[in-house]
Amino acid sequence: MLETIVQAVINGLLIGGIYALVSIGVTLIFGVVKIVNFAQGEFVMIGMYISFYLATQFGIDPILSLFVSMPVLFVIGVLVQHFLIRRVLGPNDMPQIFLTFALSLLLLNLSLMLFTANYRTVHTSYSDEALHLGGLYIPVAKLIAFVVAMALSGALWVFLHTTDLGKAMRAAAQNRDVATLMGINPNRVFAVAFGAALALAGAAGSLLMPFYSAYPFVGQVFVLMAFVAVVLGTLGNVIGALVASLMMGVAESLGIQFVGADSGLIVVFAMLLLTLAFKPNGLGGGRVR
Amino acid sequence: MTNHRPQSGLNDKEREGRRISSKRPDRRKFLKAAGGALAAGAFGAVPIRGWAADPVNIGALYPTTGSMAQIGVGCVAAAKLAADMINEAGGIKSLGGAKLNLIISDVQSDTTVTRTETDRLITSNKLSAIHGCFASALTLIASEVCERAKVPIITGSSSDQLNKGRTYTFTPFARASQFAKAQLQMSKLVSERPKVAVIFENTAFGTSTSNGLKELAPGEGVEIVMFEPYSAGFTDASPLINKVKASGANALFSVSYLNDLILIVRTVKQVGLNIAINGGSGGFVIPDFYKNVGQLAEGLQGVAHWNHDMDDNAQKVNAEYKKRTGDFLFEYAGGLVAQTYMIADALERAGSADPQKVREALSTLDVSSGFAAMAPGGKVKFGPDGKNVYGRPLGVQWQNGDLASVFPKEDARAPLIKS
Repeated sequence: MLETIVQAVINGLLIGGIYALVSIGVTLIFGVVKIVNFAQGEFVMIGMYISFYLATQFGIDPILSLFVSMPVLFVIGVLVQHFLIRRVLGPNDMPQIFLTFALSLLLLNLSLMLFTANYRTVHTSYSDEALHLGGLYIPVAKLIAFVVAMALSGALWVFLHTTDLGKAMRAAAQNRDVATLMGINPNRVFAVAFGAALALAGAAGSLLMPFYSAYPFVGQVFVLMAFVAVVLGTLGNVIGALVASLMMGVAESLGIQFVGADSGLIVVFAMLLLTLAFKPNGLGGGRVR
Repeated sequence: MTNHRPQSGLNDKEREGRRISSKRPDRRKFLKAAGGALAAGAFGAVPIRGWAADPVNIGALYPTTGSMAQIGVGCVAAAKLAADMINEAGGIKSLGGAKLNLIISDVQSDTTVTRTETDRLITSNKLSAIHGCFASALTLIASEVCERAKVPIITGSSSDQLNKGRTYTFTPFARASQFAKAQLQMSKLVSERPKVAVIFENTAFGTSTSNGLKELAPGEGVEIVMFEPYSAGFTDASPLINKVKASGANALFSVSYLNDLILIVRTVKQVGLNIAINGGSGGFVIPDFYKNVGQLAEGLQGVAHWNHDMDDNAQKVNAEYKKRTGDFLFEYAGGLVAQTYMIADALERAGSADPQKVREALSTLDVSSGFAAMAPGGKVKFGPDGKNVYGRPLGVQWQNGDLASVFPKEDARAPLIKS
């Protein structure tokens, strides 16, 4: 029994690491640029296809293709922010919601046209391997994904707290007008934030590729969890999103194990509802950021 | 005993279509059609071959765009191959060597399009017979239109529904209810006392298929030790496989779409669980499955209504198909080569291209040799419900990147490998 619980927690933590990369991206954009990016999942999908094609065309390991997918998505992020998001930033939320939602639909349909609805998988030497410890097992591909995801999250935190640009991002998030008065160029900061968030989505895509299939709708699976995690972990709070993602992974896994295999999402959303009812600002409390 | 598997062998693909929300693929299909990727999509049926003599028009309804396109394209390739083979052998002799003129129509993986396309195909051409559509959901609709227009349709789709109250619909291959039974019987090859875990996605397809298995299990002496729905498109199969492990099952039936099945198969390997997996039919028995899953597919079992290793004729057609497309001839496409020969046999005996007379001839079809008899058991004869009275499914297993027939004993071409 204990072994089953421990195994379920391990499974949950490992998949929670991937949820974290997606949700940190969403929360970063929300915290800094103050918009909800509905297209975040589609950027995960793009990251997956980049890794898929690099792996099948050039034999590059999907994990290593992170070094391609992250910069590519960073650039896409900067371009999207500069040419699209910047134009709709203003007091009215509606155009922003429509813009990112339209972007999501556009990317979905483009990928359906370009890649078709077929499932694509990459088979690496470690895709099916697992470490066995006593009665427990840890899939290698997921372990790598988890470790890299945690390292990237940590790197982002260090960036936000130690570099001038990171501090400028946090300042712009706190108060855009005052930050501008202090000589911070908000457009530059927003572009970097958007780029960084998309780079994380790209990383999630590359890390998923050794053990998950790429298809045009794949992003929607993860973005749903990401939004829940972002709300749970307090909107705009990077650490909150990380912790909430891991919690959700574990809750989902325990739910499947002990309630029923079609109840994973029920457990997650019950958690969300309870949190909203008793801690409406999310588990991070009132501290936004 | 009826309707345990409401959809054809290829229901996985149907579900993929369903999962994609309604508007998006339509737009994509429109773009594709408008772009001229397939003129048939925009302008209806286009004869792919014109003959100076009096050809016999055969309609072919397959989804060559949309979510089922992967299999639909393979079906069209097989349909062309079958028509070429018959024409090269001299056509329909009783009609003065008339050639078969295949008129292909793209039903776009969509039920509404299937209705209008079938209608258009029939009204704008003088057809002798139709074959299609591979996915039961589509075939059921095409069959309705054919019944009304009094044009015979012959199909490999497995829904038992196709044998109810129809006179122009012919199904030469195993029915859905027979597939569930075959799957259960196969589990007895693996173990004297099979303990089966059934996991299924919580959709209409998953639920009805798994319920069919559950109902038939006691009669077959198979114990179901776990019966668990899961959310289709999950991100992690580990908790589910943990449960399978805890259930002590020695066989696993997974009623799943390809993506979920890949996760399940990988996780079983990672957990180090030694269990015989049966993935059913549909997307599981096409070459693409192996391309996606690779080595892991080895030893996986499934069920099919046709397989390329059945007999010499099947192997001959398979070799030709392989030459043309590079892949082995998969279940549905192989079956439709046989179907084309059944139509040719009926035309030959009818001595007329009139659809009514072709129907009469099909209803009295009785073959036990030649390409028309390429079916498990090697005999085809239709009962009053349009069902092949000899129809039975095959148990198959992935062996060395190929599908081998392993069940029942009389159809087995290779021994079952127990993992």
